[in-house]
Amino acid sequence: MSASQPTPDLHPLADIDQVIHASARLMVLTYLYVVESADYVFLTRMTGLTWGNLSTHMTRLEEAGYIEMLKEFRGKKPHTKIQLTEQGRAAFREYKKSMQQVLDDLPD
Amino acid sequence: MSTPISLKDAERKVFQSTFADGLWDVFIGCSFPLQLTIGPFLSHSMGDFWSSAVFLPFWGAVYLVIWGIRKKVVRPRIGRVEFGAARKTRLKKFSLALLVVNVIAFILGIVAALGFGRLPTAGPPIVMGLTLLIGFSAAAYFLDFPRLYVYGLLGGLAPLVGEWLYQNMGASHHGFPIVFGTLAGVMILTGLVTFIRFLQNNPLPAGDM
Repeated sequence: MSASQPTPDLHPLADIDQVIHASARLMVLTYLYVVESADYVFLTRMTGLTWGNLSTHMTRLEEAGYIEMLKEFRGKKPHTKIQLTEQGRAAFREYKKSMQQVLDDLPD
Repeated sequence: MSTPISLKDAERKVFQSTFADGLWDVFIGCSFPLQLTIGPFLSHSMGDFWSSAVFLPFWGAVYLVIWGIRKKVVRPRIGRVEFGAARKTRLKKFSLALLVVNVIAFILGIVAALGFGRLPTAGPPIVMGLTLLIGFSAAAYFLDFPRLYVYGLLGGLAPLVGEWLYQNMGASHHGFPIVFGTLAGVMILTGLVTFIRFLQNNPLPAGDM
């Protein structure tokens, strides 16, 4: 087995989704997972991320197909609603399962 | 990571943040406690029906003011969120529980009205107190809004304390103006303090939203 390949026992950890694994994106996805949709203001407040930082992570998540941004008008003002896609929801579930599996098997 | 990821806690935290502005406290405080404080004085001149009905436009006005504050002041600070299916189901259960409590209270109210002279003096205050305690506790449980337990306890005790003041201290109108005035004051003051703290802790976000 080459050095770059993970051992079979650690496979779930090595296979972890790196798009989700970054702490800022994990926070965003956690909040989006438990609600139907939210907007930028709400997510900056809940995660404590700056506007620019959040925007960067949102772009990354959107590129991965995990979130979708829905543009709408509330009165005359434009408003962006963000929600998890089915793919994003499935990826988050898989991430949670993988992490649980690895962490549960660790000795105390 | 120092704390485990709990999705339930995350959802609860999100939902509780919708009550963080204190405006619900102000609205509840302006509703039945204020009516039961001022209404008894009006009933002499306006009668029982109109002394209650006169509060409907007042509640409407309070609701409109709170709606306006929420739209112009609160929402730009906390943003918008729509909750998932589990929370919506919980809210439906809460509506159902509140309906059951109100129907039971209504039936008990009719029974009390029909047999008012024959009921023991402590009967109506106990029924009213229990209704308030159960109603507020159900709301606190289903809405994850712990302050409502305190309001439920205060509301539950209010009719009993009022009756005691009426019997022993000669308080007017079964002590309602004193006890429910205090309850209204506690709720409105708590709401206003919470709202001021909310504004301090949540300044308007910078940047183009």
